[in-house]
Amino acid sequence: DALLGCHRSYRSRPTHGIGKFKYLLPKEAPKKKKEKVQMKEIDAGTEYQYGDVNIQMTSYDVCLVEHFAQYVHRLCNRLSIRVNESYAMPTKTNEVLFMEERGSKMQLDAVLTTHQRVVQIRGLSSTFAPILLETIQSNQPEGVHLLMKQHTEADFKSRLKSRPELEELRAEMS
Amino acid sequence: PSRAQPKKKKKVDVRKEQAQKERMKKKLKKLEKAAPELIPIEDFITPLKYSESNRVRSLPTLSPEESERRVLLLKKWCLFKQKQDEAEKKAIKALVESQQEALRELRLESEELYEAAIRRDEGLFPFERDGPSYTPPLPGYDPPEGKCIDITKVYTQ
Repeated sequence: DALLGCHRSYRSRPTHGIGKFKYLLPKEAPKKKKEKVQMKEIDAGTEYQYGDVNIQMTSYDVCLVEHFAQYVHRLCNRLSIRVNESYAMPTKTNEVLFMEERGSKMQLDAVLTTHQRVVQIRGLSSTFAPILLETIQSNQPEGVHLLMKQHTEADFKSRLKSRPELEELRAEMS
Repeated sequence: PSRAQPKKKKKVDVRKEQAQKERMKKKLKKLEKAAPELIPIEDFITPLKYSESNRVRSLPTLSPEESERRVLLLKKWCLFKQKQDEAEKKAIKALVESQQEALRELRLESEELYEAAIRRDEGLFPFERDGPSYTPPLPGYDPPEGKCIDITKVYTQ
């Protein structure tokens, strides 16, 4: 740019390109484009290894669930089990109403929020799976519901926003 | 006139239908181009009322004996937790070792049983377990009638 800005470029002279400085500055990282949310391939697993396994922890208490998820993640790191992802599912809110003893009116009792954290692991060997299960169960805190299952496409799709317009158009087309 | 009209209807209909179909296809392509988004998680968004500046709380000053006591308690807790963690690691190692030994003995006994034992258990997943509760369930407890309404916010793209 310094060269183009200057209208006198004596390319034969030894002072050619004397004002250049951009080569001295540190290299900037290229501008990264927005990464699309794509589904990673689901591993089916061999006969001696389980494929992608989801450990889902659900509870009403956020702190317990998060700390337990952290504990499970660190345990897997320590036991050199590969952790694909560790994410949170959207929270569900429930309004609990109960009937009053006298009268037929529904009385609002509480608003409960259900939180869920998922740790996805891969390459769990069949001999080690019961040991891991035992360890996680013995450290399960109160009120935290544990669920271990294979990862499916439906599980991934439940994290994405619903697109009613796309569904409608697709129904109309077919 | 009666000869000309039905022809017009057919052409116009077919063209209109084709144009409609193309429009729908274009719309579909546009919608499909947009990548699906993840539902935002409300846990990770702090509500604005907690970031107000007048919510600062001043803690009372601790006497030196109190702070001494707390530091010593912290150290004891750290030691206790370390012992607990070591015991857990030791337990896992012992389990793995005994399992390996049992498998070796089984292999010496019969190859078939060893192969069957090594295979993965299809009945293991899905596995569900409720967390332990502080108190056992009360016998003869009559819960009040009521209902639960799901008021989760539905996000659409």
